[in-house]
Amino acid sequence: MADAIQLARAATEAALATEGVYSMGRGRYVEAATYEGSEKVSGVVVGPEDLEIHIVARYPLPRPIPEIAENIRKRVSPEAGGRMTTVVVEDLEVAEDENL
Amino acid sequence: MTLLLAGLFVLGVYIVVYVFELFDYSLSSLPISDFSKALQDFVTRVENGNLSVVTVTILVLLAVLGLLWFIAELKPSAPRRVRMGNGTYVTRSVVEEEVSTIAEQVSDVLGSSVGVKARRSPGAQVDLEARVRRGEDLGTIKSGLNSKVREYLSERGLPVSKLNVKLVEADPRQTKSRVQ
Repeated sequence: MADAIQLARAATEAALATEGVYSMGRGRYVEAATYEGSEKVSGVVVGPEDLEIHIVARYPLPRPIPEIAENIRKRVSPEAGGRMTTVVVEDLEVAEDENL
Repeated sequence: MTLLLAGLFVLGVYIVVYVFELFDYSLSSLPISDFSKALQDFVTRVENGNLSVVTVTILVLLAVLGLLWFIAELKPSAPRRVRMGNGTYVTRSVVEEEVSTIAEQVSDVLGSSVGVKARRSPGAQVDLEARVRRGEDLGTIKSGLNSKVREYLSERGLPVSKLNVKLVEADPRQTKSRVQ
């Protein structure tokens, strides 16, 4: 678990680079974050066998939510080290360039 | 919680000390002789099967209540997030927002309120209450709204296991929008 924070950082980068992701989520009921020393990465929870990625999706959705989740999983999988990846869509956010 | 646990621990220590009569403390020295005597009498009557009907009824009710409580505790709590299958979840508020958005795009709907329940199986249970003008054809609006919401959610990949649509006739002056 020593590399948990690095994995969390990589997962955050991969998730934010995915189309349809507006920002990282923070967890609804419990804070979703990975900690190490004084550092904290919000939106990713790294476990020994699983990886939880919390996102806020961009609205309107450019593609269906399962497809966005699948794309995130594909981008993260090289770094995930075989961990089961769960994607949680916490909210929808209207992008600044949308006039809704 | 910590205080409660600390209190229970101290109480436990006192009980052990008094029950085993350690350090010259004994239960008989406690100023609870009336209570303990009544308790002893009660236990003796229970052992002899010499209880009144009211007491037996209360004890049976307490036992049933305890059993129901136990069963309720064993039941796992409802999930908080909507499962979409294959390791993807959405919060209930996302589904609520989406349902509300599409419902209010339907021309006959003047306002709506949405409730979403997550289930253990994939898909959410959606309870949609839509407010419409009096005198409208409720059957047509309901089926149209139902199919539109299902279609919209499936386009976005949001699975719905159960959709309950309820139409409420409302005064347009009291709804979110008066006309569409």
